Amino acid sequence: MQVKDVAKSFFENGKEFKVLDLVRFDLSERDFVCVVGPSGSGKSTLLRIIVGLEKPTAGEVLFEGEPIRADNPQVAMVFQSFALFPWLSVEQNVELGLEAKGTPLEERRKIARKFIDAVGLTGFEDAFPRELSGGMKQRVGIARALAIEPLLLCMDEPFSSLDPLTAQNLRDEILQLWTNPDLPPKAVLMVTHAIEEAVYMADRVIVLSSRPGRMIAELEIDLPRPRNRKEPEFYGWVDEIYSLIV
Amino acid sequence: MSNSGNDDGRPGMLTDFHPFAKVSVGQILGLVEAIDEVGGVADVATISQEVEMDVDRLGPILDAAEFLGLMTVHEGDVRMTDLSRKLLSANVRERKAILREIIDDIPDFRMITDMARKAGRPLTRKEIIEALSAHVGSHRAADLFKAMVYWGRYVELLRYDSQSEELTLRTPSK
Repeated sequence: MQVKDVAKSFFENGKEFKVLDLVRFDLSERDFVCVVGPSGSGKSTLLRIIVGLEKPTAGEVLFEGEPIRADNPQVAMVFQSFALFPWLSVEQNVELGLEAKGTPLEERRKIARKFIDAVGLTGFEDAFPRELSGGMKQRVGIARALAIEPLLLCMDEPFSSLDPLTAQNLRDEILQLWTNPDLPPKAVLMVTHAIEEAVYMADRVIVLSSRPGRMIAELEIDLPRPRNRKEPEFYGWVDEIYSLIV
Repeated sequence: MSNSGNDDGRPGMLTDFHPFAKVSVGQILGLVEAIDEVGGVADVATISQEVEMDVDRLGPILDAAEFLGLMTVHEGDVRMTDLSRKLLSANVRERKAILREIIDDIPDFRMITDMARKAGRPLTRKEIIEALSAHVGSHRAADLFKAMVYWGRYVELLRYDSQSEELTLRTPSK
């Protein structure tokens, strides 16, 4: 995927508010990339442009050489607020994307169960979102995204609605899934405001400035995995990114 | 704190299911990961600071972790056990199997699974709450039921249909 000089402005009463300017990076197979930046740097807007939910004011996003479309089944999204349908069971929520793709019922059920199991939710297939903890709700969101077997998984602040312990556990389990070559996706793009989280998870971190969000750095995080947040090398990266933003 | 663990971390005499009532599995596993990251032992105040949770919120999670045999708490120091180290290196399926063995042994939980086995039919929420009320008092029975359904589903020993409010036993997947 190529993000080519993407800019985005919003207009109000004839006045332009530029939120993103000249953002440019590529994403290849086995990339786990995090976009960080201060509040108002346009991170989530950038993600919405990348998945085709919003049009850039200038520049373009190419996916396998073609302009991105919102209905691209090879790109899936995980939302901060889980975005589950409360009247559907876990299994039905996970099947949604497959239903939209026209997958037959039996096949749908089989795929949904495979990904429900992958995220540790076997046992909760018939449960409704109100019966789940926050971490489990987000697991449903992840299973639903993975079930369409996307090449690219985009995540918008996926841990920010969770308490710190649940968030840490889910980060580790996502990294465990990521190391399984039999499971999708081929690449992950995650937006976060938490610098430690980005250094903990990503192979590459893209740093945006405050509004308008411009790329101020693209850093390869070469720390071995599993990473320990107490190691001085880890803190070296966190400090470097902080100093770029502040 | 609820139970004193054995040397290998397996819980000793388990009393009731109450420590689980307000705690999720993700929180317990997150706590184990956090303590591992600071070297496997830390005082409660340090953990509270590390995980950015005040002691009031952390307390029930520590209680549940200790109850499960994943931590020992002695004079304010929280220490990982062999069982929690085993849990950390396990995958999702193995973690469930480890926790299943412990949960299945808790008397309150065993009482419900025995009831379901003997009845040979789905149990209703009402009859389970009645049975739990006789055991722990009516004011705690509903919370306890909710926690049992949550953990029973997680370890794949129970199936609960919240629309018909019926509970059945389930065979864990391999």
